Amino acid sequence: MKYIPFFGCMMTTKYPQFEAAVRKSVSHVGMELVDVEGFTCCPDPIYFQARDKIEWYTIAARNISLAEDLGHDIITTCSGCTATLSEVNLVLKEDESLRKEVNDRLKEIGREFKGSINVRHAITVLRDDIGVDKVAQSVKYPLNDLKVAVHYGCHLLKPSRVMRVDDPDRPQILDALIKATGAVPVHHDLTLLCCGKACMDDSIPDRMVMDILDTIQEKGVECMGLICPTCFDSFDVKQLILERKYNKSYSIPIIYYFQLLGLAQGYKPQEVGLHLHKIKPDPILKGLELVA
Amino acid sequence: MSPTKNDPAIEKFDIQFSFREKLNSVAEGFRHNYCYQCGACVADCPANNYDEHFNPRLIMLKAILGFEEELLGADSEIWNCTNCYTCSERCPQDVRPIDVIIALKNLSVLQGNAPPIVGNIYNSVLQTGTTTKSSSLVDRRRKELGLSPLGSYPIDEIQKILKVD
Ligand code: SF4
Ligand code: SF4
Repeated sequence: MKYIPFFGCMMTTKYPQFEAAVRKSVSHVGMELVDVEGFTCCPDPIYFQARDKIEWYTIAARNISLAEDLGHDIITTCSGCTATLSEVNLVLKEDESLRKEVNDRLKEIGREFKGSINVRHAITVLRDDIGVDKVAQSVKYPLNDLKVAVHYGCHLLKPSRVMRVDDPDRPQILDALIKATGAVPVHHDLTLLCCGKACMDDSIPDRMVMDILDTIQEKGVECMGLICPTCFDSFDVKQLILERKYNKSYSIPIIYYFQLLGLAQGYKPQEVGLHLHKIKPDPILKGLELVA
Repeated sequence: MSPTKNDPAIEKFDIQFSFREKLNSVAEGFRHNYCYQCGACVADCPANNYDEHFNPRLIMLKAILGFEEELLGADSEIWNCTNCYTCSERCPQDVRPIDVIIALKNLSVLQGNAPPIVGNIYNSVLQTGTTTKSSSLVDRRRKELGLSPLGSYPIDEIQKILKVD
């Protein structure tokens, strides 16, 4: 099946290893990615939305309209892009007067939001269109017994009125897909806590992230698996910041879901860019007998 | 429980009816009117759990009563919301407190009180189409990972639909 990938700003520049992991791994489960020229920032669901909601709708609607021209659904790979594009797509489909206001602006560049496609995070497509079984069948080197602390992040699941992906209080989707790689998903008390990235006062996210990392460390879990580059920012490079600021000591590798899947399909760690992470995953790669 | 119990300042406050119209002028700036102060949005609010000064129930109450300066001022607590949307899941009245907080942020921007990052992100999208910068290092990394180079961004189109003066 054909899908239009929307990789966004962060993943194309700061973390291209995630884009590479998605492109490589989904080709083994029958997903064909059709690239579209001319996408911009989704735009950012926190600060751009805080600035002006109508302009936030308008830029997002322009992006969606480019995909509508080709008639395939958009798949998002960043929870921020998922938040913006899913909400705007739904709200503009439902609210006729808002759609008209946005389309009046889009007319100036000869575009129109029609409401003819859906926006879905790539892992939702894996579960619903491809099927967890087929994902498991693409695995050649199961990540046997690798313990992965699951981090859902907020915007895959909430607001559930918009996302309609899973129960936001008892989600299963990422667990099922981690199991498909042969790894063992592990939950803890703070599995569903936010990474806090949007808070203005640093001390709030600092304490949230330390609580999560401390919990994972106490449980002896080998790494964390997640689906969002902003959450990744909050846990990977942030471990170094927290070490300096609070005299902590962490070394918990943070791995994007499609990197786990790619490894299990037989890609080398470098091919999915694991060497680019601040917290090097070498100990778990050795355990899996994969050379770093 | 008295709705004003946590905050003595509220007991002495005269309701500012004019604030309702202001908040009403931005998208979603009416939803707090459905709030009956049950507090269901507070227990699982991570910003509240990590900083008791942040309280979505009280923010809704202050919006209803018209605490304009406190809510829209430069140091307003509204900027500590994590945008996690848990309150929207919990609220029995479909207030969606986060959406009211975003409406308050939109008003704060109009009054020139938003933190600098809001304008920085906006200007970056306006001028470059993106919020991150490309560089020769990015190009090299993309190449090593087997990715094609980044294309250009349609900045002229963005500027037209953002109606910059
Ligand atoms: S979105 Fe709601 S629950 Fe989350 S931090 Fe903001 S007010 Fe609290
Ligand atoms: S849960 Fe809803 S009705 Fe109850 S205090 Fe919060 S916003 Fe108001």
